[in-house]
Amino acid sequence: MTVTFVIIDDNEEIREHALLFTLEDKYQNIIFFSNPSEGLQYIKGNLDINLIVLLDIEFSDNDKKNGHILLEEIYNASALIPVILWSGINETKEEFSDFINNQAFGFLSKTSTIKESMVIIDKAYNHLKNSLDNTIEDWIISNETDKEKPIYLTADGETYSLNDILKEIRLQTPIGKEFSSKLNALTIDLLLRKKENL
Amino acid sequence: MANNRKDSITFNFDVSAYRLLGRELITDRITALFELVKNAYDANAENVSVEFQNINPLSTDSKIIIKDDGIGMQFSDIKNKWMVIGTSSKRRERLSPPPHRRKVSGKKGVGRFAVDKLGEKLILKTKKKEDKQLLCLETDWSHYSGLENSQFKLNFEDEKPFFTDVENSYWYEDSLKNNQGTILEISLVSEIWTKDDINRAYKELSKLVSPNTDIKKTYPFNITIKAPYEGFENKIVKTQLIDFATEKIQLSYNIDKETQEILQYNKIEKYLSIKNVPKRPCGLLKLNIYYFNEEDKARYRKHFGTTLDGIKIYRDGIITTPFAEYVSDRNKKKDILGIDKRRWSGFFDRLSNRDLLGYVEITDENNPNIIESTNRQGFVDNEAWGELHSFVIEQISQLEQYLSNLKKTQRKATKSNLGGTNKDLKELKKDIALIKKDASPVVKEKLKNIEANLGKIQGSVNKSIKEYAKLEKETKQKENLFFSLVSLQTYAAMFSHMTKHTIGHILTSAEYFNNNYPNPKLENRFIKISKNIYNEMLKLRKGVDFMLKYAKSDTEFEEINLKDLVTNLFNDIYYDRFLKENINTEIAINEELILNYNRKSIEDIFDNLISNSIKALKGIDNKHIKCSSITTKNDLTILFSDNGIGIKEEDRFRIFDIFFTKTSEDGGAGMGLYMVKTRVEAMQGNIEVVENEFKPNGATLKITLPFKK
Repeated sequence: MTVTFVIIDDNEEIREHALLFTLEDKYQNIIFFSNPSEGLQYIKGNLDINLIVLLDIEFSDNDKKNGHILLEEIYNASALIPVILWSGINETKEEFSDFINNQAFGFLSKTSTIKESMVIIDKAYNHLKNSLDNTIEDWIISNETDKEKPIYLTADGETYSLNDILKEIRLQTPIGKEFSSKLNALTIDLLLRKKENL
Repeated sequence: MANNRKDSITFNFDVSAYRLLGRELITDRITALFELVKNAYDANAENVSVEFQNINPLSTDSKIIIKDDGIGMQFSDIKNKWMVIGTSSKRRERLSPPPHRRKVSGKKGVGRFAVDKLGEKLILKTKKKEDKQLLCLETDWSHYSGLENSQFKLNFEDEKPFFTDVENSYWYEDSLKNNQGTILEISLVSEIWTKDDINRAYKELSKLVSPNTDIKKTYPFNITIKAPYEGFENKIVKTQLIDFATEKIQLSYNIDKETQEILQYNKIEKYLSIKNVPKRPCGLLKLNIYYFNEEDKARYRKHFGTTLDGIKIYRDGIITTPFAEYVSDRNKKKDILGIDKRRWSGFFDRLSNRDLLGYVEITDENNPNIIESTNRQGFVDNEAWGELHSFVIEQISQLEQYLSNLKKTQRKATKSNLGGTNKDLKELKKDIALIKKDASPVVKEKLKNIEANLGKIQGSVNKSIKEYAKLEKETKQKENLFFSLVSLQTYAAMFSHMTKHTIGHILTSAEYFNNNYPNPKLENRFIKISKNIYNEMLKLRKGVDFMLKYAKSDTEFEEINLKDLVTNLFNDIYYDRFLKENINTEIAINEELILNYNRKSIEDIFDNLISNSIKALKGIDNKHIKCSSITTKNDLTILFSDNGIGIKEEDRFRIFDIFFTKTSEDGGAGMGLYMVKTRVEAMQGNIEVVENEFKPNGATLKITLPFKK
C-alpha cells in the first residue's frame, strides 16, 4: 500500500526534522505545509489517495486556523484519514476532547524520539491498510480483471464497478458510505446464516 | 389519558427534547425563576410580581405565582408558540411589540420549560387587552415525567405513548375588561423556599437589568417579590446601584466615527484618561467598572448584604445567559472573563472579581459575533469573543496601574503626616515649657505630668516613623523580589517551551544519525541534520544568555555616554545584520549626554528596539532606522523610528503587554517591547507610541526619562 504523509506545521524548521526524513526513508511520499490553509486544501483535493496527517496544534497568532479547527475540518472532509496531533505543548484535557470529538488518531509530543513516534505512525499505517477501501484496492491489484465489473446497483439505477466504489468510499460520498454499511450488514448476515466461512 | 373537560391540545415534542431543554439546560430553580421573569420582560410587562405562598413547610397549598402585566397570549399563541418547543417567535422578531420595542432577550424558546423546576403543576392564565375572557391552560408535569420513566423501561419494539399524547386541558374564565397580562400559577412546589432562598432569588433578580441601561426611563420594568418572611412581604427588587464605589469608570464609543473609548493610565501625570481608538473586532461597547477598596467594600456588604461579584455582560440591557446561571458556592463560580485566572493575580495590586463590579454593555447590532453558547456556560470562542475578553482585561490592568500608584502616593502622605505630628509635638512641648515658667505650683505639677505624657507620645511617634521606614524598605525589597520572580516565571515558561522544541529537534536528529549512519545514500540528509543540530544549539545558547541577563541585572551603575552606546550597537554589533538586511541608520544624539545608570539595562532597551524594528522592516523597500534625542531642563526624550509596517492604531496601547506580538513568524515572542517598558519604567521613565516620523508608514517610539533633581 502506498501512503502519503501530509505534515502541517507553521514552523519552517520542521521541514527538515529527522522524523520526516525517517518517514521519507520508509514511506517515500512526504509533503510539508507551513501554511495550514494550503495543507487543508491539499488534503481536500486528494481524498482518493491514502493519507496520514501529522498536525501541529499550536500555530502562531497570525493563523486564524489553529490545529483544533483544522482537525475538525479534516474530519469533516473525510473520517477515514488518520490525523496524528504533533505538538510541543503538553497533553492536556483539550487534546482528549479532540480525540473524542474529532477522532484524532494519536498524540505525538515534539520531544518524542523517532522510535516512540514510529510506534504511533506505524499503527496509523496498519489502520489504513486494514480499512475497507484498502482491502478493495488490494483485491483490484491482485485481480485486475474484476476492476471494471459492475457489482453494485443503486435504487435509481446507477451501476458501480469495484473501482468506482473504491473512489466513492474514499471521497466519503453518500454512495460510498451506504455501500460500506450495507457490506457490513451483508457480512454479518452471511456469517449468521453460516453461508460463508471467513 | 382521558379527560372530562371538553377540549384539549397537546404538546408537540418528544421525551428527549423535553429532557434536554427543560431539565438539563436550566439546572437551578433560581435560574428557572429568572427565565420566567425574563419572559415577562420580553412580553412588554412593566410590572412583574413573584409571589410565594405557603412554601415553608410545603403543603398542598404551596404555590408560586408569577404575574405580569405584559401583552398576554391568545389561543393561537398558546397553540402555535407556547406549546411548541424550540420555535421561538423571539428569534424572528428581535424587538418586542410597540410601543416598548424592547430588545427581546429570549431566543431559544426554552424559558417556559423552566416551570417544572419550580413545581409539577402549572395553571397559566393569560389575556390580551382586547379579549373578554382569561384563557387558562393546565399542565401537569408529573404526567410527563411519569411517561418518561415508563419509556425508559419499555423495550424498543413495544408500543409506547409519545409525549405528544399527553393532554393539557384549557378553559376560559371571566375577567375584568381592559386588563392584560399572564399569570403563571405553579403548584405541587418541588422544594421548600427558606428565607435564604428568597433572598438569593432577590439578589439574582436584581441583576437582570443593567443599572446603566435606559430601559427604566421610558418603560419601567419593576419586579416585586412577595413571600411570607419579614422584609419580603412586598419587596421591590432594585438593581444594586453602586453609590459606594471608590472609583467609577465609564467607557463608551462613538458610533459615527467608529471609535471605542479605552482607559489609559498616564504614568507621568498620574491620572487615568480616556482615549479613542478605532473599533476592535469585538464591536463597539460600553463598559462601566466600579472599584471598591476594603473600606467601601465593607460598606457595600453592609448595605446590600452581599459581596461584589465582578464584571458581567449585558446584551441590550439584559444580563446574558452565562452570567445568569445561579451558582450557590461562589468559589465555584465560573470566571467567564478570566479576570482571576491571570498570572499572579492577587499580587502587585492585581484586582479580582471580588474588588469589582462591572457592566459590559453589548448590543445585537454592534456586537453580532458575541454569541452565547447553547449550553449556557459561556460564549462561542471566536475572534470577537477573544477581543472582548482582552478588552476587559486591558482596562482592568490600566486601573490596576492607577491604583497601585495611588497607593504609593498615599504611603508618602502617611510618612509626611507622621513627620508632621512629630514636629507638632515638639512645638507643643516648647509651649508647655514656656507656660510652666510662670505657672503656679499646682499647675506646674500638672504640666509636668502632661510633659511626661507628651514625651511618651513623642517616643512612640518616633518609633512609628522608624518602623514605617523599615516596613517601607522591606516592602520595596519584597516588591523587587516579586518583580524578578514574575519576569523569571514568565521567562521560564517561554524558555521551557523553547527548550522543549529544541531538545526534541536535537534528540531526533541525533537518533537519526544513530539509526542510519553511515550510509552514502543519505549523505545529504546527514549534512542537513548536522546543520540543524548546530542551529538548535545556537538557539539554546541564546536562551541561556537571555536568562543570565536576568540573573545579573540592575546592580552596578556607571556613567554612560548615550551616543557612544547607540553608535556601538548600530555600527558594530548590528553592523552585519543591517548590511545584510539593507537597512540605513541615522543617529542624532547629543554628544555630551551622560547617563548614570546600569549599562546592561540601557543596552537591553536599544537591543530590543533594534530587533523589533528589523522585524517590522521585513519586506519593505528602502529601510530606515533612526534614533534621536531631545534634552530639556527636566527630562531627556529619545525617539526611535523606523519606516516598517507600523503599529495599528488599535494596538497602540497594548504593544507593550507581555506576549503581545505581531511578528511571531519572525521569532517574536512578545517579550521585547515588554522588556523595554519594564526597563524604562525602572528608570522612572515612560514609553509610548507617537506619530510616525517616517511617512507614509513606520513607527516611532518615544522614551522620556526624567533627570534626577
